[in-house]
Amino acid sequence: MNKGGKNMKKLLSMLLVISMTATMLIGCGGSKSDSEGGSAEGEKVTLDIIISQYGNYTQEWWKEFESNFEAANEDIDLNIEIVSWNDIYTVVNTRISTNEQPDILNISGFADYVADDLLMPAEEYVSDELQANFVPSFWESNEIDGTVWALPILASCRALFCNMDLLNGAGIDAAPTTWDEVLTACQAIKDTYGDEIVPWGLDISTDEGQAAFAYYTWNFGGGFVDENGDWALNSAENVQAVEFIKTLIDSGYCNSAPFTDTRYPLQDAFSAGTLAMMIGPMNMVSSDSTVNYEAADLPGEQVALGVCDQLMVFKDEEAGDARTAAITKFFDAFYEVETYSDYMVYEGFLPATQDASDNLAKNAEKYIVGGTEDVTGNSEYFATFCAVLPNCQFYPMQKAEWMDVRNGVIDVEQQVCSGTTDAQSALDKLQSEVAE
Amino acid sequence: MNKKKKALSTIQPYFWLLPSVLLMITMILIPIISVFKISFSEVGRSGLVKGFNGIQNYLDVFNEPAFWTTLKNTFVWTIAVVGLSTVIGFILAMVLNQEFFGRKIVRAIVIFPWATALIIQSVIWKYIVNADYGSLNVLLKKLGIIDSFVNWTGTAQTMFAWECWVGIFVTFPFVTFCVLSGLQSIDTALYESASVDGAGFWSKLFKITLPLVRPSLTVSTVLNIIYVFNSFPIVWTISKGAPADQTHTLVTYLYKFSFSDGKSGQAAAVSVIGFVILAILASIYMFMSLRGEGEE
Repeated sequence: MNKGGKNMKKLLSMLLVISMTATMLIGCGGSKSDSEGGSAEGEKVTLDIIISQYGNYTQEWWKEFESNFEAANEDIDLNIEIVSWNDIYTVVNTRISTNEQPDILNISGFADYVADDLLMPAEEYVSDELQANFVPSFWESNEIDGTVWALPILASCRALFCNMDLLNGAGIDAAPTTWDEVLTACQAIKDTYGDEIVPWGLDISTDEGQAAFAYYTWNFGGGFVDENGDWALNSAENVQAVEFIKTLIDSGYCNSAPFTDTRYPLQDAFSAGTLAMMIGPMNMVSSDSTVNYEAADLPGEQVALGVCDQLMVFKDEEAGDARTAAITKFFDAFYEVETYSDYMVYEGFLPATQDASDNLAKNAEKYIVGGTEDVTGNSEYFATFCAVLPNCQFYPMQKAEWMDVRNGVIDVEQQVCSGTTDAQSALDKLQSEVAE
Repeated sequence: MNKKKKALSTIQPYFWLLPSVLLMITMILIPIISVFKISFSEVGRSGLVKGFNGIQNYLDVFNEPAFWTTLKNTFVWTIAVVGLSTVIGFILAMVLNQEFFGRKIVRAIVIFPWATALIIQSVIWKYIVNADYGSLNVLLKKLGIIDSFVNWTGTAQTMFAWECWVGIFVTFPFVTFCVLSGLQSIDTALYESASVDGAGFWSKLFKITLPLVRPSLTVSTVLNIIYVFNSFPIVWTISKGAPADQTHTLVTYLYKFSFSDGKSGQAAAVSVIGFVILAILASIYMFMSLRGEGEE
């Protein structure tokens, strides 16, 4: 009896192991068919969508959008995934390498996907009305070789933020308008406040060092490309700009770790009143900050950096017209003036469509900022920045070498500022590598 | 009947091992093969594998000056962290093996740096040494040791030195407890008879303690070489390899290659190089220590 019981136990446990193993195999096999997006199941079309996380409440907004959209379009099922900026490139690359790319993706940059022939041209899925509604400079900024590959989802521009109480206390009456005035103001702040206040916030980290390169080179008269659109990274103006960044660091005007400080701790320091000046996005000052600040034009040539993220559609050769029609409906619903204006105020960005720009310049108070119950948008703010935005310069993201240049200019800044090499040699080397 | 039973008992262990073997194949072996394959493939920035390209990824990696700096850093990092952790951990284990008041509390405190998540340790140390608002500067200034704030991480060398310190700080408790377990298994009669024979502290240390804790030290050193060589959070949290890729170790370097620069092919090549180095190092150490044990 005892022996029989033991054998039974052995048999049962072996069956358990086999069934567990089999379940695992079934699990592995089942996952692929579940995750196939964009396919028509009978009449219903499923769209896999990846959206970048712009704030702590992005998920809530899209959840509501999803339920409203699905209620209005019963034949379309949205599968929206919100992914943080830290992870999004990894997530998307992994999905592409396993042939499970989403139908619609919200990210910054699209040239690599175009180079690998993964995207659909925008004109194949954007309605004529929507196309006409985009601010022309935004629509064109997503063009490669005469074809537009992505839609601008939102925009932001950068300004020079000055803590006016600190500047006035150091004997400086107004925000600096030239680079020499920047040096004078920094020295005055250093002399007045010593270690307590950092005069100038600088981020040349791998996070956004390319933005610093844009601020300084554009406003010294240089930039990434020349008037023909060819890479011009080693121009005399760029050399001067990079040397100026080094001067700021060597003079002790900057935060102590510009190689690793991203703009976020700098924004916090500015909002807390311990940093006197920095260049940052227009929504950078925290809502509970009591700092008396002014958002001024960038010194020098007064060229602002515009940042514009995109929405793009991946090809799916097997999917039919129903998918394309569903995508068109999705974009029409998202860019509808009320919905889109609501999202812009919610996330604190500037719109890329003309009707939303006009609407927010007058009625921003109708909409609520994400995560709050009663903080509304400010029409004056939208009127000011929406007017500035078309004149901003953007990164040359449509160029295939952009990612190499982006990483290259950060390396140049870090090499020069850490004294490894000089600006001219570093920029010459980068230019020759990119031009190869 | 008996034959049947015998056959069943022969097969049975393999059934028990099957889930673990399957897990190892899917979670370890397949990814390793996949990394080797990618290292010999051309991979687009969007992650698309475009086909075999021979040893081009390896040549690209070898042509990067930053790779050689990274390789040097990796050796400095591994030797400094494992070496100093072992020395500090060993000394501390000797101290904690003595009877003294509050020994249990001290033992509990020593485990903290190792038990806390690496990422938390790294962030805390990053804030401690920050020159603008770090507590180290504030403390030293309040004590009157410095007049103005010192930039502790101003150069690549100082930044990397701080990272090594954090590595040591989180690693030595592991050595301490490994050695302590070895020390506690040594029969005190050995020390007593050595004392009777006139042996001093040093001769007891080298003739009794070290040979007997050698197995524990072997385990802790081999494991630490693997952990420290592969450690990612400290360097990535504190410097991300900045300035200008001068403070990378192989793991952070390949991460940057893959996820910041979008060069998965080269990243896989760096990964394979790291794998080979680690395999050689671990084999040498294991071979030497096993041979040593065999001789005894």
